[in-house]
Amino acid sequence: MKIGLISPYAWDVPGGVQAHIRDLAYHYLDQGHEISVLAPASDENSIVENFVVSAGRPVAIPYNGAVARVLFGPVAASRVRQWVAGGDFDVLHLHEPAIPSLSLLACSIAEGPLVGTFHAAAPRQKVTFAIAPFLEPVIEKLRARIAVSEIARETLRIHLDTDAVVIPNGISADFYQRAEANPAWSRELTIGFIGRFSEPRKGLNILLEALPKIALVLPDVRLLIAGPGDGMEAMESVNPALRSRIRFLGRIDDDAKASFLKSVSVYVAPNTGGESFGIILTEAMASGVPIVASNIPAFSQLLEDGKYGLLFENENASDLAEKLIRLLKDKELARGYSELGIQYAKRFDWTQVGDEIMNVYLHARGEDEKVTLLSEARPWSRLFTRGEEE
Amino acid sequence: MDLPIFVAPLIILLIIWYLTFSATRLDRLHQRVETSWANLDAILQRRASLALELTHFPETDPAGNLLLTSAAHHARAADISVRSEAESSLTAALLLLRQESWLVEKYPDLFEELDQITERLKVGISLHVEGVSAARARRSKLIYRIFRLAGKAPLPVRYAFEDDSLVEVQR
Repeated sequence: MKIGLISPYAWDVPGGVQAHIRDLAYHYLDQGHEISVLAPASDENSIVENFVVSAGRPVAIPYNGAVARVLFGPVAASRVRQWVAGGDFDVLHLHEPAIPSLSLLACSIAEGPLVGTFHAAAPRQKVTFAIAPFLEPVIEKLRARIAVSEIARETLRIHLDTDAVVIPNGISADFYQRAEANPAWSRELTIGFIGRFSEPRKGLNILLEALPKIALVLPDVRLLIAGPGDGMEAMESVNPALRSRIRFLGRIDDDAKASFLKSVSVYVAPNTGGESFGIILTEAMASGVPIVASNIPAFSQLLEDGKYGLLFENENASDLAEKLIRLLKDKELARGYSELGIQYAKRFDWTQVGDEIMNVYLHARGEDEKVTLLSEARPWSRLFTRGEEE
Repeated sequence: MDLPIFVAPLIILLIIWYLTFSATRLDRLHQRVETSWANLDAILQRRASLALELTHFPETDPAGNLLLTSAAHHARAADISVRSEAESSLTAALLLLRQESWLVEKYPDLFEELDQITERLKVGISLHVEGVSAARARRSKLIYRIFRLAGKAPLPVRYAFEDDSLVEVQR
């Protein structure tokens, strides 16, 4: 099958959606499908994958508590048109078709077996109601909609009044389970945190607020933080006596991430909101590290209300400290979560998720159908060419 | 003022554009339902033929075999008016068979295929139901009814079996 995938966000900037598309592309390539990915790119030369086509330089806009690098405009539209016309795709899989970027462009100019995946979860926003009438006829063309979580599905229902099939994000469970611990990072009583910690919604400040409370009970506690950002700036709020317990590793690659998760004794996700799925939690579970996470809707749902990890009250540092102490002290509890997590994480493996997405492709496509450009089918052009058609 | 002279044709053009635009939208929704039904139908047919294969076990009791065989034949032959009922009884018969764990262990390949088909059926049904509700919601709007934008296209319908197979599949 020839599959076209579109990323709305810049390919050379790390992000959940891009990682999802990349892994999905590799998974289908391994199965013998033909793949082409269209994505914005700040620097075309930085693209290492030969199946990725650049659509031009993205612009940065603030979106959902973060900066999104997206691409739109007439030049981008003509790039999309060329790519769709030359691609001869059996299925076009658009990611985040509701945000102003390539996927939305593609959705408005293509026709046929279109599938859309909605990643984001956002609270009710007035602006969406203003643009919904313009968005609706475009989104309506998707033969099938996928939401990555119940929260994403709910967002879609509220904003665009349309339902979706829920298929979670995928991981390579094996990769995380087989990783080796790094001796430099593994020690008793180590708490791990991964993320762009300078963004307030990642909740690092809550973790730092909880740290003194944990250190009172467990003086040897250590905090390992990985992810892009200025560590010195984040340290400023921390009591100087505690600073020696915190270590910033900077941005780490996938291999380092896997061994990071294998090394730490507890993984903590203090995010305060804006999450739709929580892929890092599934990766942590796959590697067998027990989890403490805030009880925001996405995490509560993923961890099934605490069945697969300890939940603490969102933005409550004392509760976070208490839960972390409990998990660090109680080896039995930690082992229980670890074993459950490894089993549960298999549900998110690409072998499972890839098949589910393929099922949707097969359902979205009529017999021998291809993705075509819409221009031939516009109402006014049809009005004038009706005679010729018959 | 001769402003209305310019405005009137513009408004008429706009109305015409809006009507064709709306009709295209509905047409596309109809197309979506047709595709999803065609795919769903194909899987239902595959399920029925697999069900017939599942009746060839020497170990199952004759009564169960008879039930499954007749359900599968019904599902394959039924015309659209009784199709829903036939698919429902096939779902029920297959579910009974699926509960025989010793049989499942003995013929893992066939039951694996059954599970795969059930999985695909689940997706197919939810997409079909979604398409039908979208098309019906659009058709019920005033402008579509006044200008008869649906033309001669039949009203998309959802079938009763879709609800109960969804419930049982998710259990």
